[in-house]
Amino acid sequence: MEFLRSFIETASVFVLPLLIVGFPLYGLLKRVPVYEEFVDGAKDGFRVAVTIIPYLVAILFAIGMFRASGAMEFVVEGLRPLLSLVGIPPEVLPMMVIRPLTGSGSAAIVLDMIQQFGEDSILVKMAATMFGSTETTFYVIAVYFGAVNVRKTRHAVPAGLLADVVAMIAAVYVVRLLFG
Amino acid sequence: MLNYIWGGLIISSLVFALVYDTRDLMRDTYRNGAEVTLEVDLEGDSTGRRQPARVHMPQERYQALYNVDNAPGTTFDGTLVRTRDGMQLRFAQDAALPEPWKTIRDMTSPRDNDLRGTVTRLDMHTDSTATAVIRFADVKFVKMTAIAQAAIDMAETAVTLALGLIGVIALWMGLLKIAEAAGLIHAVVRFTQPVLGPLFPEIPKGHPALGMIVLNLTANMLGLGNAATPLGIKAMEELQTLNPDPDTATNSMVMLLAMNTASVQLVPPVILVALMGLQINQLIFAIIIVTMISLIVAITAAKLLSRMKRYRIPPTGAGAAMTGPEG
Repeated sequence: MEFLRSFIETASVFVLPLLIVGFPLYGLLKRVPVYEEFVDGAKDGFRVAVTIIPYLVAILFAIGMFRASGAMEFVVEGLRPLLSLVGIPPEVLPMMVIRPLTGSGSAAIVLDMIQQFGEDSILVKMAATMFGSTETTFYVIAVYFGAVNVRKTRHAVPAGLLADVVAMIAAVYVVRLLFG
Repeated sequence: MLNYIWGGLIISSLVFALVYDTRDLMRDTYRNGAEVTLEVDLEGDSTGRRQPARVHMPQERYQALYNVDNAPGTTFDGTLVRTRDGMQLRFAQDAALPEPWKTIRDMTSPRDNDLRGTVTRLDMHTDSTATAVIRFADVKFVKMTAIAQAAIDMAETAVTLALGLIGVIALWMGLLKIAEAAGLIHAVVRFTQPVLGPLFPEIPKGHPALGMIVLNLTANMLGLGNAATPLGIKAMEELQTLNPDPDTATNSMVMLLAMNTASVQLVPPVILVALMGLQINQLIFAIIIVTMISLIVAITAAKLLSRMKRYRIPPTGAGAAMTGPEG
């Protein structure tokens, strides 16, 4: 287990430089005009970033308003009895609500919980596992679909959110199983 | 679905802001116009325009005045400012203040971030100690102001975020172009077709889209957020070339999205490592288990939901105008 972990960690350090060097190197071996191809592809960077802007503005300002309005506290309060019924501690609730909406916001929650409960607390472990196991779903949807100008996202939101909810609940039980 | 969620977020923020602001008005949370009595230790020369002051607010007095449980720190640094119009007591910039003082400061002095009270009376006990009666500016509609400000701030943040991606997107788009031209992507496709092919049935055999998806998912697994996003965008672009209706997501796109939001995480994201330090090592195993569960759920959900009536791809042509609200 320890060996596997250090192997994965080392691999993750090397994979980026290897790809960045490996692609052009392989291209050279295949007699591809690497510089020309790179510049040709990189031209798209600006276009893609600018294409994303309206989608990102739409999603982020709505989430920002929602957070600023104090609605979050209300949602958390409303869900509290429901979730304590299935054995989820109320302290991790803010994390569950905010995680799909904002990455920086949920990082702030982890930090806040570390200060409040201490690094070793099982609550912090649960929140951190939730953070590590899920994505900022709405941001990913805005960026990925925005980049190709797809506005009708069909079942992307429900599928993504369902996976998030299951991951959150699983995090509580898995952490309790491993550390509880 | 996104239409409803988006609209819901905006409308509910207005509703909640109204409710909270009305509650504040009714409870008089900020005690608008109230006279606040403080004990002040003045330091130095009293003839100057500005005089350093240490402000004491007894805990019981604060709790009784604002009807709160939290207590202020016993002493605050501040300055007594004398102007032609009278005296003003300014708390130190960015001081740690209890609620509701903190909100009063944020609302009334957003730029300087110092709480300011107009001194209505100053009774000197000795040369340096006094009892001051001050009054803060009125605070109303805190949440209303906050949601408008948040909308503007986040719109700016969105642009900063998007523009910040230009460089890294350009880098990966360039590298991927080389990989494509060199036939590397095709090799990846051939290699992974048997595993991933069934999840993306719309992608023809040997199409580069699958290669981009593999690279994107791999980057995600290794916690390389910076590389994963451009690779995912490239994968979406490849999928878009196969899309008969460029405005609507295909099943493969949704599958890619779902697998991304639930991707198996062998290496935790950098922010989490920074936050948790060495503690993170204990959690890696938990994160791998949880992400495996959520990946299975994501794949199943993407497959099953795509067959539901309301998420089916609307027929192209004349029928398209007749379809109901889309997700």
